[in-house]
Amino acid sequence: MKSHFAFAILFGFISTIAHAELKWDQTTLELHPGFGDKEAVGHFKYQNVGKTAVKLTSVKASCGCTVPTWKKDEVDPGEKGEITATFSIGNRVGTQVKTVSVQTDEPSSQPTVLTLKAVLPEGITLVPSFVYWKVGEKAAGKTILVTAGKDYLAKKIEVQTSNPQFGATVEPVKGGGSWKILVTPLQTERSGSAVITVKTDFPKDSPGVFYANASVAGGLPGQGPTSVPRQ
Amino acid sequence: MAESPPEVSGAETISVTGGRRRFDLVVRVAELLIAALFIYAGVLKAYDPLGFANDIDNYKLLPWSLGVRLAFFLPWLEVVCGLTILARRYYHGSLSLLILLVSVFIGASAIAKARGIDVTCGCFGHAGRNMSFAGHLALDFAILAALIVIWRWRFKDNRTRA
Amino acid sequence: MSGIVARQILALCAVALLPAIGEAFYFRDKIPWQTPVAASEYATLAMAESWGDDLIWVDARTDAEYSAGHVPGAFSLNEDRWNELLPHMLERWAPGKKVLVYCSSQSCNLSRAVAHRLRTEVQIPDVYILQGGWEEWLKAHPK
Repeated sequence: MKSHFAFAILFGFISTIAHAELKWDQTTLELHPGFGDKEAVGHFKYQNVGKTAVKLTSVKASCGCTVPTWKKDEVDPGEKGEITATFSIGNRVGTQVKTVSVQTDEPSSQPTVLTLKAVLPEGITLVPSFVYWKVGEKAAGKTILVTAGKDYLAKKIEVQTSNPQFGATVEPVKGGGSWKILVTPLQTERSGSAVITVKTDFPKDSPGVFYANASVAGGLPGQGPTSVPRQ
Repeated sequence: MAESPPEVSGAETISVTGGRRRFDLVVRVAELLIAALFIYAGVLKAYDPLGFANDIDNYKLLPWSLGVRLAFFLPWLEVVCGLTILARRYYHGSLSLLILLVSVFIGASAIAKARGIDVTCGCFGHAGRNMSFAGHLALDFAILAALIVIWRWRFKDNRTRA
Repeated sequence: MSGIVARQILALCAVALLPAIGEAFYFRDKIPWQTPVAASEYATLAMAESWGDDLIWVDARTDAEYSAGHVPGAFSLNEDRWNELLPHMLERWAPGKKVLVYCSSQSCNLSRAVAHRLRTEVQIPDVYILQGGWEEWLKAHPK
């Protein structure tokens, strides 16, 4: 009995030491990239506080947008290192949470999950970001409400459409920080679409550009006004 | 159109002269069409209760929990009324019920439209999706008019010309 | 007279109640009785195939996975290049069409994120996620 007990304690002790071989400074990092940043980088530092070398057997990110890099697989006792997680922001919005799962050859064999939380700054939001007309619908203007995030200090915006069949005008809303874009199609007989580019004047060195879409949909593309049957 | 009927008591049958006989035929055809319409519409809606529940919900006049239960009940009510018109049983109640349903529906459509809600009806299930609002409303008024004409012809002044 | 009418109406309602209750019993597990389920959730491959031409396929996976193979006619739409890719899909879209988003399997979050943005930002109705994802389509269409 006593020997079992002693063995259990010894085993527990050994496995605790084995758990603690690779120690992480932080397994969760919160990043606040600025406007116009294309990437957010998190440095997950670790140190081998054990007595034997640890090998990183698998380092996998939760998505293709996050790429983990590290200098080498083998971490000698006492050695320090880091896994650099580079998150490509792309056209994402809001708070993004991405993870990197690290598996080592430690006996505990539980993967360590490194969490990267990127709080993306709020630029301007366009509601809705898509306005459309059915073929044959009255060609009345539709409004997109533009609102700047609280830290987004844009004073004015400029709009352009990619297709001359759609016109867009802007008017500021009282109180600042928001605008109304009125999108009007020249005709709704034929289908067609446009990308509406919204250029702001903030930040000064690389002003933000945002997009909305417009379309006249439902008929066959490219037909003349007289050949599309009315619904 | 119908001539004004002579003074008769409810127990006497009414003699039909040429004009009235013709109009009676018109009314019978209208009954057949209306009955077929409601049976068809009812069956179509009974087939997809969740779709109908969503259409009712679009009007935003009733809470979902009530609308979803109505979505099961109303289509069968339409079918039953359509059948009773064909069978000439429970006829007065059936017509009255249908007039009520169509009127309520027209009212609900008007309210929804006034609120700016785009309701693509749902009367004929997803088959009616492609009609414009004006088209739908015109059809409903036509149905209501037909129902009222039938009702007046059959039951005006407490007479029963069934 | 109105008493007779009232009784008839009541009788008609009672008769209609029978098939209505029967149908409700049949659908009891398939209907959300308390609150509506958002129309934009999962759709099976069978449902998708019944929509025929009214369906637009959207592949939410990365560019690399899309190039390696995708549902024929599917539009690539991911958050890396959302602004660039969205207009192409919207060009094909018209009111009444359904959008079906898929990614690498049921547990993949990419299709959820893309579907969410389509519903909330672009605000088009009838956005669904393919149950079973790309794998489900592959099972039905082995190369």
